[in-house]
Amino acid sequence: MGRYWRTLRRFWGTALATQLEYQLNVLVELLAVALSLGGSLLLLSLFFGPGRELGGWNWNQALIVQGFYTVFDGMTTAWLRPNLGAIVTYVREGTLDFVLLKPIDSQFWVSLRTFAPAGLSEVVLGLGLAAWGGHLSGVVLTPAVLVTVLMMLLVAALILYSLWFLIAATSIWFVKTWNATEVLRALLASGRYPLEAYPASLRLLFTLVLPVAFLTTVPAEVLLGRASLPLLALGFVLAGVFFAAARGFWLFALRHYTSASS
Amino acid sequence: MRIFGLNRRIVRALLGSQYAHMLEYRAEIALWALSGVLPFIMLSLWSGSDARSQLGLDGVALDRYFLSAFLVRQFSVVWMVYAFEEDALLGRLSPYLLQPLHPLWRYVASHLGEQLTRLPFAAGIAGVFFLIQPQAFWIPSLGGFLLAWLATWMAFAITFLLQSLIASLCFWSEKATALERLLFLPFLFFSGLLAPLTAFPPAVQEWVRWTPFPYLIDFPARVLSGDPVNLAAGFAAQLAWVALLLPLVLVLWRAGVRRYSAMGA
Amino acid sequence: MITVERLSKTYRVADKQPGLAGTLQHFLRRRQRDVSAVRDVSFAIAPGEMVGFLGANGAGKTTTLKMLCGLIYPSSGQVLVAGHQPQRRHPDFLRRITLVMGQKQQLIWDLPPMDSLRVNAAVYGIPDRVASRRIADLSDLLELGEELTRPVRKLSLGQRMKAELLAALLHEPEVLFLDEPTLGLDVNAQMRVRQFLAEYNRRTGATILLTSHYMADITALCPRVLLIHQGQLFHDGALDRLASRLAPERHVRLELKKPAPAEAFAGLGRLDSLENCEVNLRVDPASLTRVLAQILERFEVRDLEVNDPPIDQLIGELFRQGSL
Repeated sequence: MGRYWRTLRRFWGTALATQLEYQLNVLVELLAVALSLGGSLLLLSLFFGPGRELGGWNWNQALIVQGFYTVFDGMTTAWLRPNLGAIVTYVREGTLDFVLLKPIDSQFWVSLRTFAPAGLSEVVLGLGLAAWGGHLSGVVLTPAVLVTVLMMLLVAALILYSLWFLIAATSIWFVKTWNATEVLRALLASGRYPLEAYPASLRLLFTLVLPVAFLTTVPAEVLLGRASLPLLALGFVLAGVFFAAARGFWLFALRHYTSASS
Repeated sequence: MRIFGLNRRIVRALLGSQYAHMLEYRAEIALWALSGVLPFIMLSLWSGSDARSQLGLDGVALDRYFLSAFLVRQFSVVWMVYAFEEDALLGRLSPYLLQPLHPLWRYVASHLGEQLTRLPFAAGIAGVFFLIQPQAFWIPSLGGFLLAWLATWMAFAITFLLQSLIASLCFWSEKATALERLLFLPFLFFSGLLAPLTAFPPAVQEWVRWTPFPYLIDFPARVLSGDPVNLAAGFAAQLAWVALLLPLVLVLWRAGVRRYSAMGA
Repeated sequence: MITVERLSKTYRVADKQPGLAGTLQHFLRRRQRDVSAVRDVSFAIAPGEMVGFLGANGAGKTTTLKMLCGLIYPSSGQVLVAGHQPQRRHPDFLRRITLVMGQKQQLIWDLPPMDSLRVNAAVYGIPDRVASRRIADLSDLLELGEELTRPVRKLSLGQRMKAELLAALLHEPEVLFLDEPTLGLDVNAQMRVRQFLAEYNRRTGATILLTSHYMADITALCPRVLLIHQGQLFHDGALDRLASRLAPERHVRLELKKPAPAEAFAGLGRLDSLENCEVNLRVDPASLTRVLAQILERFEVRDLEVNDPPIDQLIGELFRQGSL
């Protein structure tokens, strides 16, 4: 266990060093994060005005949803894209062999090898925005609420990781469809807005098939003190199911890789 | 006889080879087309929102606008700066620069090849949309369609020139593509992809009209969907932007190539 | 250290005909072929040996090597490396082996090799003090100094390869698998890598398996050679025996001033081709000097060239001759 922790520190130390090799990039990324958030808020404001609501959510509450979306967008930028996007490169260049020969779990390596620091700023901004929206909505932050919110965020992170991983792992078969995760990302953008803003048919899709609801709307509901226990339980179940599927699929993919490669 | 360095034979060879090349990447291109569904997501939001009254578009008109926005985006998307960066990194630029054909034409050809490959997938997605919303179905008049095609072409040209400008900067700095990231943001919000221009407060609209962005999606989409729009003003603005950007790109490119060869290509 | 019994690997490959008709048929009823990459290979390698896998491209060397690493599952047969079944990829097994592939790297591109070494130290659980000592020893042996603190992308191919070797050997593996390690290197760099490997084997007694299609690698390093041709083990034994058996004749190419009839070359060697003034002869190595002297006496020679046929051709010929 200690070895894994030490390895993780080294992974991310080298990732940070790599990123800082290109200083201009870091500045531009930070600027892009700030502008993106600003633009999204501008867009969101178009839906609101005096007395207007979006799917029954008012402006302050919608800010919470935007905030949590930004947290997960940051997670995608910081971990999912750089790591899972590299799987197809490993396969194309044959360097997956090196990963498989290291005495460390290959899924651990592939998922956590690097990270992009700019994403961290997004996570922080997102948390800040959600907290601000919560404050404006008159939320009282008791320890119980805080713990539940953090738990749901973790559940959501697990679902997001597993979904992304499942799609990215298909690169082992189909190198040419590596950008399937971009389709996922485009669909996830729907998480910027509360679930109730969408027509009923899409709401079901966004809860069960593509659990975007659990990424943003459900944690927001928890913060606002409106979440029901069955909903939280569903979140846990989905997280467990998706994560198990991701793990199982990876082992299956590796068996294929080692049988078919030359 | 060559016009701008091209003749019929070169054009045929370039387009032919690029189309064949892109066909190899059908699966990837289909997924790129699919990842353009953001307009549809925004449509479902706008349709259910009280705020749609200020759009000046409602019901069927709104459906058509966003479908048109989707289609215009599919045929005006430009990724030239990334291809260029990769070519520069892998040393493919040098042979291109040695040939009597301006390298930018190659990228134009590959984009056209990609658009042709994308066509069936974009049409398929449009077809699915019409299945879900049959009342929104329409076929534009021939004149309307041609005008929309022209407007989309101009939008493509403007976007291509903007990216070429950034690409030229790659001759000076290795990671100039980061600027594309920044340019993409105002495009995303003000082009009309996420919300028609009329969704913005009038003050913002006035100011945005001085940028090229609304002429990249909003204007062509309205032409395609049959929305009454000031054609003269729109085309004039597009033309003006091309006239402004084209010489800028050519000058910057030439300066960049000189620097590239001076540094040892 | 390594035992291999009747190892085989067969791939099922889809057979697709070109064109639209082919695509339809491929979609409806897939026709599949079995491609035999490795067929019934058996050998045993003792600890500390340096063994070369020699063979033409596509002969099955890399497939065999990867089966020994556990990167490819064999279709049939047994493999045991350091007492483990490689495909299980047991951590203890992984700690005792290492793989180096020519033209493929595990070092981080944008950072100095030192950073990649620190990552490896963590992954293999090597304490930093021990790692520093090993890095110092290995970089001495490899003649690496300030390269370790320069970004990998700024190193030459030869320096990169040396740094790769360092990274691969940090955990002091008992078995080294090297897949075309000198591919793309210039002559000097190739020589340095070979010198290093010989020295490393002498010092640590590590077992080294090397694949290459450069004869020079094998000649310099491997007293024992496994020749693989079309998936089968063709020769397992000392290099000298193979060398003399493989190249029984030298090729002599002549360009004469005046054309000469075929009969004029009787007694000199086997005539390969005779076209106007261009002559290709096969000569027995033992009588090469005598034959050359006679040629220069008998004919007016404009140009003369003596060389060995390429290894692919030799191996191909060997196969035609049958087993040794």
